[in-house]
Amino acid sequence: MTTTDIPAPTARPKRPATAPKRRPKREREGAAWVFLSPWVLGAIVLTLLPMAVSLYLSFTDYNLFDPPRWVGLRNYTQMFTEDPRYWRSVMTTLTYVVIAVPLQLALALAVALALKPMKRGKGFYRSAFYAPSLLGASMSIALVWRAVFNDGGTVDNLLGTGGWVNKPGWALLSVALLTVWQFGAPMVIFLAGLQQIPAELYEAAAVDGAGKWRQFVSVTVPMLSPVLFFNLVLQTIQAFQVFTPAFAVSAGKGGPADSTLVYTMYLYDRGFVASHMGYASAMAWVLLLVIGAVTAVLFRTSRSWVFYASEGDR
Amino acid sequence: MPGHRTKGFCASAAALALCAVLAGCGGSGESVGGGKVALRYTWWGNPDRAERTEQAIALFEKRHPNVQVQTSFSGYDAYKQKLAVQATGGDAPDVMQLDYRQIDQYASGGVLLDLAKQKAVLHTSEIDPGLLATGLVDGTQYAIPQGRGTETVVYDVKTWKASGVPLPRQGWTWSDWAAAVRELAKKTGKPGATDPGQSEDAFEVWLRGRGKALYTKDGSLGFTADDLTEWWTFADKLRRAGAVSPAEQTTQLDGSVENTPLGRGKAVSDFNWDAPASGYLALIPDGVALAPMPAGENGTPGQYFKPSMFLGVSANTGHAKESAQLVDFLLNDQDAAKILGAARGIPVNETIREKTAPQLMDFDKTVADFQSSLEGTLKDPPQAPPSGDNALQSTFQRDYDQVSYERMSPREAAENYVTEAKAELRS
Repeated sequence: MTTTDIPAPTARPKRPATAPKRRPKREREGAAWVFLSPWVLGAIVLTLLPMAVSLYLSFTDYNLFDPPRWVGLRNYTQMFTEDPRYWRSVMTTLTYVVIAVPLQLALALAVALALKPMKRGKGFYRSAFYAPSLLGASMSIALVWRAVFNDGGTVDNLLGTGGWVNKPGWALLSVALLTVWQFGAPMVIFLAGLQQIPAELYEAAAVDGAGKWRQFVSVTVPMLSPVLFFNLVLQTIQAFQVFTPAFAVSAGKGGPADSTLVYTMYLYDRGFVASHMGYASAMAWVLLLVIGAVTAVLFRTSRSWVFYASEGDR
Repeated sequence: MPGHRTKGFCASAAALALCAVLAGCGGSGESVGGGKVALRYTWWGNPDRAERTEQAIALFEKRHPNVQVQTSFSGYDAYKQKLAVQATGGDAPDVMQLDYRQIDQYASGGVLLDLAKQKAVLHTSEIDPGLLATGLVDGTQYAIPQGRGTETVVYDVKTWKASGVPLPRQGWTWSDWAAAVRELAKKTGKPGATDPGQSEDAFEVWLRGRGKALYTKDGSLGFTADDLTEWWTFADKLRRAGAVSPAEQTTQLDGSVENTPLGRGKAVSDFNWDAPASGYLALIPDGVALAPMPAGENGTPGQYFKPSMFLGVSANTGHAKESAQLVDFLLNDQDAAKILGAARGIPVNETIREKTAPQLMDFDKTVADFQSSLEGTLKDPPQAPPSGDNALQSTFQRDYDQVSYERMSPREAAENYVTEAKAELRS
């Protein structure tokens, strides 16, 4: 009784050899394409095509009304060598990114840390802090913001500031505050990250005599660094593209005295106010490349400070 | 946690966010409800104008039961931007209010319909031929003037009178005006006027008072950096002395009366066009009065009668006839005229103007009286500004911001402007 217990292979229902009648590869792919088509169509019509057109336009002089006229690299050279407002908008945007992103991430992390140990009412506070992220992007809140920081507005009445939005030195800060206030999304991500950190690490640290601060620096920050990195990249990319708050706070002009003229505002100004679509397209492409470069740099630096658990022994 | 997944997720999320940079936006179609013809009609203006327009539209819909008119309006700056976007997307409203500055660009861009082809329903025989001709571009009637307007010094009557400063009078000069706003500031503690430095319109009046113009006949710049430096130095001195509004106030101007220093109760007077000045009444309950613009030092008047605004029809409209009917109604209908009054300037239809003049009420009468007081004293209007002017109007305001916030000298800002303007007019 050696082999009889094992059914002969031939007794098995026949698999691949006969069953398949393999449908041709193309047919199977066809089904995939049918299901993918809404996305693919959307990507082509709403993203790739406009991008291609915009790339073409960036080499033309196009005033929206007459047919585009090919000018080669003139838009790009004009931008870099003859347009002081362009550089002003670049500086404004960089200043904005440097103010808004760290402030927003710090606030998001602080609130996430405060919410983490909370036993009751957590859901309420979480939603309450998240709400501005949903509302804040809307034009209406931005307009309220303008009213709040305008002369005669709430902040003026409380602090006697005389209205930040009309002071070139302060206007950009009121724009940044509007972004900082929308810290809900990074906060929720931080919260999720914090909850992933094993409690044993804290216990071990406590046994070793680490205080709260020490625990934060030596346990929380390294364990949270991938999440921190993720938030940093995302928020930086968003900050480079800031538009709505600057538009609303300056009533669409980037004023006073160009102090809130962020990159996208100037792009909008060139395209839709001055009708230089070619120039605006060229600006958009430069922005895309710069954001790509900045993101790449962030990824580079991340090697030295982002700690992934799986590489713990490195 | 598998760290690599986090990293990969980061990368793909970042890539997605990058893609979002260049996302475009689509246009919208035109809707026709219940078998009716739907027309879109848009204009800029204040709430007073909107209220009267809605009433007139209601009457039009009663007369033409097959037509439904969707209206919308906004402040001048916002309107200008929105219309430009709509027009270039091929989605211009069927009937649109246009500024003198826009018609050249819109007509040559193929956005506007040739209105002469709609003669059957759109009558223009009652409009002064000279005025009608302002709507011509290359000999084609792309737009029809809707009213006649002129610039004015609009002032808070009660405050000015109480201050004891002599009231503005016909033929006063820019130095008389400057003296008056200085005195007003001293006596009332409020700036005497909105800082005129930001206003291309006020600059034009000042320039014409010296026998020059914004643009030459061939559409290039009609003044030099020296002229503009002088104008901005003039305004800059007054502002530094507190005689006109400070930069923080001036920068809030957006074409609506609500955001002017006068409208906000922070100045005694303002330069504005006469028809929209009705908007101040709601903000200054003690009333406002209109005075002529200051003249050049030798008495040359700088202000002029200008077609205050035009009506045009979209070249892409599916309802040319109905659109033309609406234009005709707004221009030539007796009852519509009664409702609209002088909300868009004094009517252009001669019969209506004569008939309605005695019936004009309240502020409309003020505007009509103001215009007739100037009749025969003003010089001819300049020709329609070249396309580039549409953008230059904002440039002017912005460059002066640099002066009023003391970031540039009037000379530097003026040279900047002239460089920008030359580039703009060339392209």
